[in-house]
Amino acid sequence: MREIEGVFYQSNAPKGVDPANVYFVQVDATKCEACGTCDEVCPTGVIQAINDDGIRQVVNPAACVNCGQCLVNCPFGAIYEGVSYVDEIFEKLRDPDTIVISMPAPAVRYGLGECFGNPTGAYVGGKMHAALKALGFDYVWDNEFTADVTIMEEGTELIQRVQEQGKPNARPLPQFTSCCPGWVKFVESFYPDLLPNVSSCKSPIGMLGPLAKTYGAHEVHVEGKKIYTVSIMPCIAKKFEGLRPEMCDSGFRDIDATIDTRELAYMIKAAGINFNELPDVQPDPVLGMSTGAATIFGNSGGVMEAALRLAYEVLSGQKLANPDIKVVRTHEGINTADVEVPNFGTVKVAVASGLQNAAKLCEEVRAGKSPYHFIEIMTCPGGCVNGGGQPIDPSLRASLFQNAVARITKRYAHRTA
Amino acid sequence: MSGIATMSRRGFIKAAAIVTGYTIVGLRFAGSAIASVGGYVGLRQQSVYEADAKVYKIRKSQDNPMVQKLYNHEKGFLHDGPCGHMSHRLLHTHYVERGAAVEALKAKGVALKL
Repeated sequence: MREIEGVFYQSNAPKGVDPANVYFVQVDATKCEACGTCDEVCPTGVIQAINDDGIRQVVNPAACVNCGQCLVNCPFGAIYEGVSYVDEIFEKLRDPDTIVISMPAPAVRYGLGECFGNPTGAYVGGKMHAALKALGFDYVWDNEFTADVTIMEEGTELIQRVQEQGKPNARPLPQFTSCCPGWVKFVESFYPDLLPNVSSCKSPIGMLGPLAKTYGAHEVHVEGKKIYTVSIMPCIAKKFEGLRPEMCDSGFRDIDATIDTRELAYMIKAAGINFNELPDVQPDPVLGMSTGAATIFGNSGGVMEAALRLAYEVLSGQKLANPDIKVVRTHEGINTADVEVPNFGTVKVAVASGLQNAAKLCEEVRAGKSPYHFIEIMTCPGGCVNGGGQPIDPSLRASLFQNAVARITKRYAHRTA
Repeated sequence: MSGIATMSRRGFIKAAAIVTGYTIVGLRFAGSAIASVGGYVGLRQQSVYEADAKVYKIRKSQDNPMVQKLYNHEKGFLHDGPCGHMSHRLLHTHYVERGAAVEALKAKGVALKL
């Protein structure tokens, strides 16, 4: 076990396994204080008491969506990650025959700075790219580029579905987003009858992996087989996604390794890089350039807003003068909106933040009562900026005193019970 | 029920410890409730929208020159456009039916939230 930014990790870098059998998060029973916070935040209820003392465990990986909300909310730091590719990535960076590619997600640049003393949420995109170059990544490509590509694919799919309605073999509406790996495993496990409603688009990282080893390899004149792709995510569930057996459309493994924001911070510190002194650097453009529509993927409502910025222009044939579509921005819960599009009519949309809310929208779809065209689901409340792989909330990390007191009260309660 | 004046030493310590314990646990819950409403998630979200408005020069995916290069009708790698043949090969997927695994778990008596 290695401690990384206040979280423990097993140095386990699986290859060629079925991720459905892997525990990506688990409770260290020796540190669990039976407070039950993890029960409250777990969307499926798979983290539960295993004995009379109330010690919690993830009882089976089948019902765990790997979101890690238990981990980022545990007041005792008792929950650890089961998978970490950090050592393997350092090896690949040292290997002159391997072309190592970075693929950081939008939300990483709004969390990473916190590990270096910056204010909560500080945007550090330029320094992040500089740090990746300093670490020795051969090409700094950016998952935001394929967030833009996702909008092109998923927006086009939505327009196709709308136009198909009433025709034979029409794909159903509403269309659900498919970017969030916690949500995708959730719908596969708990609402498999709704899979035809889920966009067939891979997530942005699911797209960048295969593009890097085909299109990207061609653009930079290297062989796809020499490329090692590193997915850098605010998320633990992305480690599951990267291991999905079907993610090999490039002819190789599309995603070779997945780490989260905390592990990137660890690597930067381990390499002795002075993060705050770095200049602001742009990513390598061909698979790196991105737009505001891509960066808002990190917030609940962001994929919806980005898709509407495209759908509005395609459906109306007019330019969207003000790209802000604030009505879909979502901090928590379920948000619904009617968006008026000239020459088309009303686009009805819903955004759900948190899977308990997603389940309500799924029940509506199952009952045939869902009025929406397009539904965005994010597993983590508020979106990826609050992902399970992000730096732990500073006030939670500062609660060591509270933890110590709670331990004492618990011991006392035991003795007097 | 004995009053505080007539309470035994042991009884007093026990009562005081319970009061202190619950006060601190209460403060902790109050603190975490405040953090979850506005707190760090709100700050990170706000920073995202500020960057969208101020840092990024282009704000629509379809206006990204590298997206236009990718989908260029003549020379683009995805020249048949979004949802075209090559897109379907590389960028689209199929999903895995995992309902049976969850049902098996429930059949073993594991209680889940849904």
